[in-house]
Amino acid sequence: MSQPSEFYSRWRYRLFPDHLVGEVLAKNWIDNAIPFLILVTSVGFFSFFIEDLFAPYSLSDNGRQIGELLLVVFGMTIVMMAGGIDLSVGATFALSTFCSLAMFNYFELPVAVVIVTALLIGALIGALNGFLIGFLRLRAFLTTLVTLIMVRATFDTLVLNYQVEVSMAMRLSDAWDFIGNGDLFGVPVSFVVAATIGVLAHVMLTRLGIGWRIQAVGGSRRSAFNAGISVRRTVFYTYVLSGTLAAAAGVFYASRLGAAGSDTGIGLEVSALTAAVLGGVSLGGGRGSIAKALLGALIVIVIQSSLIRLGLRSGANTLVLGLLLLLAVAIDVKWLKNRFKVLAKVYVSPGYLRLPEIGRIDATSDYRDNNRLADVTLIGLEEVEGPEDVILDNDDNLYCGSRHGDVIRFFGPDHKRWEVYGHIGGHPLGMAFDRNGNLNVCVSGMGLYQITPQREVRKLTDETNRSLLSVIDDSRMRFADDLDIAPDGKIYFSEATIRFNTDEWMIDALESRGNGRIICYDPASDTTRTVLPKLMFPNGICVAHDGKSILYAETWPCKISRFWLEGPRKGKVDPVMPALPGYPDNINRSSDGHYWCAFVGMRAPAFDLAQRMPAFRKKMVDRIPHDEWLYPNMNAGCVIKFDETGKVLECLWDSKGVNHPMITSMREHKGYLYLGGSLNNRIGKWKIPGADPTWTGMADYWGAK
Amino acid sequence: MLGRLKDWYDGFRGAGEYAITVPPMDGALRPNTELDQAEPLFEWPAPDNIVAVGAQVRFSSGCDVLGFSPGGAPGLVAHHSADVTALAAYGEAMATGLASGEVLIAGGPHDGKRLVASAALAITCPVALAFQDADTLLIANGSDRHGASEWRHDLLTRGATGSVWAVDLRGGAGRCLARNLAWPRGLVALGGDRVLVSEAWRSQLVVVRPGAASDPVLTDLPAYPGGITASGDSGYFVCLFAPRRRLTELVMREPAYRDRMMAEIEPEYWISPSLRPMQSYYEPLQGGTLKKLAMIKPWAPSRSYGLIVQLAPDFGPLRSFHSRADGTRHGISSCAVIGDRIVAASTGGDIVFALDLGGNG
Repeated sequence: MSQPSEFYSRWRYRLFPDHLVGEVLAKNWIDNAIPFLILVTSVGFFSFFIEDLFAPYSLSDNGRQIGELLLVVFGMTIVMMAGGIDLSVGATFALSTFCSLAMFNYFELPVAVVIVTALLIGALIGALNGFLIGFLRLRAFLTTLVTLIMVRATFDTLVLNYQVEVSMAMRLSDAWDFIGNGDLFGVPVSFVVAATIGVLAHVMLTRLGIGWRIQAVGGSRRSAFNAGISVRRTVFYTYVLSGTLAAAAGVFYASRLGAAGSDTGIGLEVSALTAAVLGGVSLGGGRGSIAKALLGALIVIVIQSSLIRLGLRSGANTLVLGLLLLLAVAIDVKWLKNRFKVLAKVYVSPGYLRLPEIGRIDATSDYRDNNRLADVTLIGLEEVEGPEDVILDNDDNLYCGSRHGDVIRFFGPDHKRWEVYGHIGGHPLGMAFDRNGNLNVCVSGMGLYQITPQREVRKLTDETNRSLLSVIDDSRMRFADDLDIAPDGKIYFSEATIRFNTDEWMIDALESRGNGRIICYDPASDTTRTVLPKLMFPNGICVAHDGKSILYAETWPCKISRFWLEGPRKGKVDPVMPALPGYPDNINRSSDGHYWCAFVGMRAPAFDLAQRMPAFRKKMVDRIPHDEWLYPNMNAGCVIKFDETGKVLECLWDSKGVNHPMITSMREHKGYLYLGGSLNNRIGKWKIPGADPTWTGMADYWGAK
Repeated sequence: MLGRLKDWYDGFRGAGEYAITVPPMDGALRPNTELDQAEPLFEWPAPDNIVAVGAQVRFSSGCDVLGFSPGGAPGLVAHHSADVTALAAYGEAMATGLASGEVLIAGGPHDGKRLVASAALAITCPVALAFQDADTLLIANGSDRHGASEWRHDLLTRGATGSVWAVDLRGGAGRCLARNLAWPRGLVALGGDRVLVSEAWRSQLVVVRPGAASDPVLTDLPAYPGGITASGDSGYFVCLFAPRRRLTELVMREPAYRDRMMAEIEPEYWISPSLRPMQSYYEPLQGGTLKKLAMIKPWAPSRSYGLIVQLAPDFGPLRSFHSRADGTRHGISSCAVIGDRIVAASTGGDIVFALDLGGNG
């Protein structure tokens, strides 16, 4: 029964890529998205009201102001990233302006001396802050507030007494004018200097030891201390840097305007703080970057100069900045706190999946329940954990993976004793021997690995070509699942999903999107290419008996398909079993020229219906905890044998689920069938009635030894 | 207006009325495995409605009423034309409720009396019976909309159309004591004209009396309460026949999914509580119930559960007996107190067993 609402949801979920929201939110650069949006919005908003906001002369004038502000903001950012705050930057800026003017106009010192001395004054004020806060461990806020008052008072006294003397511009100097009003390739000098310092600061913060120490101290003082970082000295340096940069800005201001008044540098600390926080530099420390500071400074400049152009009085201007700062702080706190919560909520994005109606399994069905697997012999009971796949070699030794990241070898013929054959580190899933006896293993979370007969573990590949339009980085392998090897030595393997880790594989069932793919690794050229993208949890892979195609199972859509490697339909896909009653897992060859397939679980009607109602699954994910979610029924499973036309020949059940509630793989070897389960703690061995007692997979693939 | 806004916001955030929570099993309800360890008496398919009649114990199974003496094997007492939905005894008299909407009296002064649902006596779904005195029978009608076997329908549609009736057996006139109850599955006559009723879907016990609003005395149970039995020391035993799960609560609040599920899928495969441990791979599975290392974890959110809670005379829980997700004695709707033992029928576990109270109750 198809309902009108289902027609809507089918197209709604096919056309709108819900999953991208979560993938974008998971990116690191998303932190910069909000400030960037604010910048774009404010630029758009003000250019609507002010016609010539971006006229050349306006830009150039703004450029000089930006340069000065940027220097101060960079200093503030560095301090904040170490977990502090510097309120004295405005006063330092003002004092530096006054001193530069005094030295240049009144004492007529050389320009170089003027600059160096001004910077030294700034560094000294910073060193005072740094000493008090870093070494004496005073509170950053109060201490810099006091410094602000003290430096400001000094500046005010000086201005009151000597304002006229220092502002009398009697002296001419090209160098001085160049600093204040010159251009380099049409760009204001102060902006060029700020940009250069920005690049240096970025390199320092992200690539040098001091930068890492600053971030470590800001992230967690105690951990940084325990890691052996000199917290006090690091904090000290940040204030020295901040003071020096504020003084540098003062020099530019002095050379640009040639005057200092009582309002010089007033409110600069608010502008700088607003810029830093608005850009996304966290007040708590540890989070921030020069790029963020740049974004924030641009926003503040655009808003400030636009407001002036619109004729707002300077008091109102500060009020707007204050409101902006409040908003930025609120966003900062809320965003930091809730980002991962939001991500967790929006990441799972169920799609629409309608499985074919096949009715219920009854007494006449090919899949009818029997308890033929009741008489399995158990191997490694409570000794292995998570044997997803099993395989046997020519000497009847049995290999399986374990959850602990080992490949375990049980010694033939009785499989009572075992050893760790190779330690890989991730949970080994599918396994296959190649022509030379190398054991190739898909390892969850790691990629495709190989264990040589000399027991050397080698990585074959862990990345493939990145697809053009994926938001998530799909070049790395997240969930290599099962593999098989073609006669030409190429290894075809499935990656079940690129959106979830192995332990979250059932969440992929709730999504039921084309999150998986089949990848081909060519050992001859050591290249890896994705051959079939956008499959729904591709799982088992088996090269057909004639070696001309591969059969692969897609778990959530309950189907088995064939991918042609050669012949007239090379590169094409044909359905083999389009409507299974259960969820197919591994596929392997049987001795009589057919194939075995394990069902990891069975289709439950309530889940099938939920697959057709993505909004319901979304709500479920939102509202109830993980353990309570509706899953496919994976407490029951069976093994089927099918032929190349897709006809079911046999069906084997452990109907009570005593030993094998969930079967993920089976392997035929010398008349027996060996059963594995990715969540089980045993391997089953079952005698196949009438099977060829000499048939082995090794001989069938690679010929008799 | 403000209420509507809050309602909309709650719906958006999943708060308030829209919060999907289930009380934890804690305090006196802390889980144990006592039901699974209790002494088995005999296995029988789907036993239910167990009741003590003198020294004998009677119970129902499908259309049959059976009886056994302690230590003896069960023997057929009566066979009815429809499923037996409730039993009650008073001295020699026994009342039997049938799914067809009838209540039959056997033995005692009103032997042979037959009550049939009518407009004046809405007992189409008699799911609990109790004698108030020799001449007055209390009948709980589970729902006006659904029959006794359609309890899942009533739960998922959040039905609250049940009622409790007091019938004078001398004349046959019925008097309604309370209406709009959510599946009253258990009854005990208290002193005076008060009646203790278990409201399964609201997970609470209420005391009803004619002409007064029902008074909740024990609320927020983590499972659906069924039969109540008075214990010797003026306390009570209440049998909770199925667990509340958040997924079920979610489905009740999602009419789009619920209605299609109820229309398209067989009831035993619905997302709903069940009396039996999982039997078919067509039943829905919740994440925590996935078998790991070939076992179900006891804390798993299973569809079925076994739980008997002992209550003090003031209805506060004293202690509890559990059969958890990995146990089998699930779906216990009724128990009988014989001396210092409880005899209980596990409908889902197909077994009748006796629980020793050990005298320290």
